[in-house]
Amino acid sequence: MEETRIGVYICNCGTNIAKVVDCEAVAEAMGKLPQVTVARVYKYMCSNPGQDMICQDIREHGLNRVVVAACSPRMHERTFRAAVQSAGLNPYLLEMANIREHCSWVHEEQDAATAKAMALTRSAVLRVAKHEPLEKMSADMCPFTLVIGGGIAGLTAALELADAGHGVYLVEKAGQLGGTLARDDLTAPYLDSARDLMTERLTRVGQNEKIQVFLGAEVKKLSGFIGNFNATIRTAAGNGTGEERSVDVGSVIVCTGYQEFDASRITHYGYGKLPNVITSFEFERMLRAGRIQTHEGRIPQYVAIVHCVGSRNREFHGYCSRVCCMTALKYAHEIKSAIPGVYVSDLYIDMHAFGKGHEDFYRHSSEVKTLFLMYGKNAHPVIRKAGRGDDGERLLEVNEQLSGEVIEIPADLVILMVGMEARQDAGEVARLVNISQDKDGWFIESHPKLDPVATTTEGIFIAGTCAAPKDIPDSVAQARAAAARILGKIAKEKIEIDAVFAEVNEDLCSGCRVCNELCPYSAIDFDPVRRRSHINSALCKACGACGAACPSGAIKARHFTDQQIFAQIEGVLS
Amino acid sequence: MSFQPKIVGFLCNWCSYAGADLAGTSRIHYPPNVRVIRVMCSARIDPTFVLKALQEGADGVLICGCHPGDCHYTEGNYKAMRRFPLLKRMLASFGIEDARVRLEWVSASEGQRFADIVSEMTEKIRALGPSTIKAKLNTDRVER
Repeated sequence: MEETRIGVYICNCGTNIAKVVDCEAVAEAMGKLPQVTVARVYKYMCSNPGQDMICQDIREHGLNRVVVAACSPRMHERTFRAAVQSAGLNPYLLEMANIREHCSWVHEEQDAATAKAMALTRSAVLRVAKHEPLEKMSADMCPFTLVIGGGIAGLTAALELADAGHGVYLVEKAGQLGGTLARDDLTAPYLDSARDLMTERLTRVGQNEKIQVFLGAEVKKLSGFIGNFNATIRTAAGNGTGEERSVDVGSVIVCTGYQEFDASRITHYGYGKLPNVITSFEFERMLRAGRIQTHEGRIPQYVAIVHCVGSRNREFHGYCSRVCCMTALKYAHEIKSAIPGVYVSDLYIDMHAFGKGHEDFYRHSSEVKTLFLMYGKNAHPVIRKAGRGDDGERLLEVNEQLSGEVIEIPADLVILMVGMEARQDAGEVARLVNISQDKDGWFIESHPKLDPVATTTEGIFIAGTCAAPKDIPDSVAQARAAAARILGKIAKEKIEIDAVFAEVNEDLCSGCRVCNELCPYSAIDFDPVRRRSHINSALCKACGACGAACPSGAIKARHFTDQQIFAQIEGVLS
Repeated sequence: MSFQPKIVGFLCNWCSYAGADLAGTSRIHYPPNVRVIRVMCSARIDPTFVLKALQEGADGVLICGCHPGDCHYTEGNYKAMRRFPLLKRMLASFGIEDARVRLEWVSASEGQRFADIVSEMTEKIRALGPSTIKAKLNTDRVER
């Protein structure tokens, strides 16, 4: 038999790993293990030079096993499998040790973290020595896509796929399409109508026979894997019973959007108690109705707009909601056009005008005499009832940062710019499609910069504000990106299936049939003549339940064999 | 320095391993005592894996899978759940304390929960002290 020659590669991940783990010490320790031919450290193992280093070693040192100690295998196992394959090694002769997510990012103490990184890497070395080359299989890619959520992102994604000739099931929880954008009047910074944007999308979706829309509907169940999902869609009927439909899809795009921050949680603004203190969404309704007025039906002479309600606030949401600053400027513009002689004051912390055309829009707003007042992050404006001689119904007291003075401004109408937050039911959606949420509840992308619309579950994509606050152009771009990713997979017609599945050693099988009932995919047949069980590898999804249960040790869970796991156990404990 | 227990964690790939990854991406700190071994499903965890870990000197074993109803393989976690009491009964007969071997459900979105479980388990095992099972199992020659 060929001599085992293992190369071990420790990634610094910039400083992500190296600042806590002594990578050189890990490499030195690994270099002393039997069967390890080379052990090296590099800045970014996933970079091209990093991968090239591994490939070159495979050729020069005749390596036949590779261990990469870096990030989670859920992040880069595919990258490194492809790398070793390009150097002529079977991709399954690679093993990763997760010394970032499971080590440097969760531990502070250097010695302990380094010891743990050594244990994890050693475990991978012992395991990889037991690896066997495996061959991949392929399965059909179902060209249909399930889009969950019918807002601007969902509509765009559906159109992109349908325009390319592929079927889409578009599931919307509400009774109509459009999502939160359908509630808006004009959009910043070019003041084009949200209604126009929506109408264009809705008309095209309505006319496209490739798109099947389910309104007042929810996805109740999703099973399967990339290329071969099965979804159960329930449409609500009047009496609550509903009707269920099962559809086969190859991919899923989640576009479930956001919900608005509940302004009544900030008690000192008095939202919900004081009349004429309203949220941006309520004001948007007024704009769409074409009449800006107070609770009493009067035309306001003084309007105050308060930014960052619930956003950039440690008590509520630490993040910036991104769209409110420009929306506030848009309000100033719309109020001024509608009510001649009105005074508009804009109370902000910082003006975030980051996007294309935003800075021009801000300058333009200043030129039309909106009064901008900067308040401190921890010195929120105070709303009081005005006295007899005062203008306006209420007074807002602002500790103005630029002048350093306490300024009182009158207001007949106060608009609270409420931020975006993750939907209350986002957790349910995450569980349904098996994706993760961050600490604020937003769905997590596969990679924040390089893979922003994919998730860690293959075949499940995210687009729009369900992933984080964003504006319309970004939501549309994400929706199209997700659709493009799926079109690429559909074009290939086949998806590669992992070579990891279970198999029966018929010499050891006693024909007890314990495994037959355990398999959730009915992948195990029993041959009554030979009294042996047999696993259909195309149906097997590699859970390994049969392997754990086989009393004769006849079932081998490929790539997760008893010997491989035993080696790992020895590795982490030695 | 106080006793540093060695805990072997068997985590299913789809929920719990992703949850432990999320603890990392969220920078949620927890004690460095757990060493994770990834399996595709909690149903893959053969009781002999747990025995092997204890025999090799683990002071504790943590098994994590998807929440009931959420298994990537539909019902693998139920199989793990049904197997677990039998394993525990056998471990009890070896005199292995209850707190040393645990089965927990951790979803892909529960990084904090994973960190909390590890912290709590580490403290409990630290209070119990080092495991004496390694010696016992080795003298009884329980091997596969």
